[in-house]
Amino acid sequence: MRRASRTLGRRRLRQGAVHALRMLALAAVLVWSAFPILLMVTASLRPPRDVFSTSLDFFTKASTQNYVNLWKRWPDFFHNLGNSLVIALGATALTLVLSFLAGYVYSRRDGKLLTASAFFMILVRLLPPIVLTLPLFPAVNWLLLNDTRSVLVLLYCAFFLSLGTWIMKAFIDQLPRELDEASAIDGASLAQTLWLIVLPLSHAGLIATSVFIMVFAWNDFLFAFIFTAVDAKTAPLVISEMVGAVDGVDWGILFAAATLQLVPILAFVWLAQKYLIAGLAAGTVKG
Amino acid sequence: MKSSPRHWALLVPAQSLLVLVLFVPALYVFWLSLTRSTYGKSPVWAGLANYAAVLSDPYFWTATLNTAIVVNAVVFGEFLFALAVAMLFAGWIPWRRLMIALVLAPYAISEVVAVVVWKFMMEPYTGPVTLALKALGLSPLDWAVEPSHGLAMVILLSIWHHLPFTFIILYTALLGIPKELYEAAQVDGAGAWARFRDITLPLLVPAMLVAVVFRYIFAFRIFSEVWLLTGGGPARSTEVLAVYLYRQAFRYAEFGAAAATGWLMLIASLLMGSWYIHQMYKRMFVDASR
Repeated sequence: MRRASRTLGRRRLRQGAVHALRMLALAAVLVWSAFPILLMVTASLRPPRDVFSTSLDFFTKASTQNYVNLWKRWPDFFHNLGNSLVIALGATALTLVLSFLAGYVYSRRDGKLLTASAFFMILVRLLPPIVLTLPLFPAVNWLLLNDTRSVLVLLYCAFFLSLGTWIMKAFIDQLPRELDEASAIDGASLAQTLWLIVLPLSHAGLIATSVFIMVFAWNDFLFAFIFTAVDAKTAPLVISEMVGAVDGVDWGILFAAATLQLVPILAFVWLAQKYLIAGLAAGTVKG
Repeated sequence: MKSSPRHWALLVPAQSLLVLVLFVPALYVFWLSLTRSTYGKSPVWAGLANYAAVLSDPYFWTATLNTAIVVNAVVFGEFLFALAVAMLFAGWIPWRRLMIALVLAPYAISEVVAVVVWKFMMEPYTGPVTLALKALGLSPLDWAVEPSHGLAMVILLSIWHHLPFTFIILYTALLGIPKELYEAAQVDGAGAWARFRDITLPLLVPAMLVAVVFRYIFAFRIFSEVWLLTGGGPARSTEVLAVYLYRQAFRYAEFGAAAATGWLMLIASLLMGSWYIHQMYKRMFVDASR
């Protein structure tokens, strides 16, 4: 009896130790992932000369001075944030339309030629973007599209169209074919079937696709760096200029700008978390 | 079901954008790589001279070596880390949704802001992590001066930034493994390590391969992190291939050499993706017609 309770106690102890270790590991993972972001966001809300302080007086001494300074020193930054928003929304809308149409066809039809064109979509996904900027740069200049928001919309869409189509195909695959067949028998045209039946039912795929393209378009540095100069500059590009400022980095202003750039997209990713996870599985593993 | 012209019409917008923006330019880069050209001059045929020039440029080899180090360190470091986190999350976790949201957070961050955050933490005299390392008696990274430290910083930052991607792929695959398998193994007296080795690992292999291949292809493109952190310096010692290409093209206007570098990068990308391409080919053409 006593021995039994002793082994039971030992097992409890071991389980307790394993549990404690797991929670410790969890804490370490959270510190690694989220703490750097938290540190910067709180630093942006400290008085300008305290941005490097790590004391907890942050709660009592919170200040919006860095944001005021940002407004005064870089008034254009808010215009650039606006550019980022317009470009991200434009690229998302365009990608959704094109990948919905293509994803529907790949989900419902087959044939050698069609499969070949789907295979082509996978292949072009492997092309490194920097390589393609080389011929695109003169082409964009020649078309007088340099430093316009449209060129970024087109490029972002082109680079995420393949993933978008794949995600849409995977989600439309889950809808029974009988739905569109029944609608066709009832005399609906293809456009009506797509608009009234398939589109509303594939909203999860549309949200999943929009998370990926939105994150990419809102955050991209490379294409904005190469294809914009003044008018169409996006927020990440201006933040990079703040980092490399010749007269020294004003960390407070930098943190304020970075916080304004990251909070909206982080909120969007958190809201759409479920769809992001489903979309990633659909776009990579399921193929 | 066979496709009709109406269905082909639905594909036209997507396919033509891909052809015009990705495919034709990729072919054009190949032609460009066989010519000598710069601003204001029409290209002249050069044969393989650009490839010879690039392959005999010591900076190209520095960039290639740096890329190989960074890509391998990032992909495998990230893979092991993500696997551990996914295993942790497969068990009991308090406030699961919130915890996943926090692990996902870096996914939403732009490369530029990621660089800002890491520069802030690692700032030589005032950065919180620098001070913490000093307080623990460790030497902080001298990333702005020492090339190997600069690359180490790029690697840490990339792992931090892309952990969510690999984590999600492995985590969703782990959740897909039937619970009964573990229960049966436990009844048979298999220990934790045996269950991991004989059940988890083999069933996770497809997802692992996908995660690693995708990360190889994407990590290989690394540009912004290096450009914004070290600019490729000091003395071009931390350049990666994308930065080398950018300098060739947009700083030195050596379009032929840049195009040759570009095609070498493109071939390397296709080789890294060849396993995935092969898998997709089999699934789409062979399995489908069975």
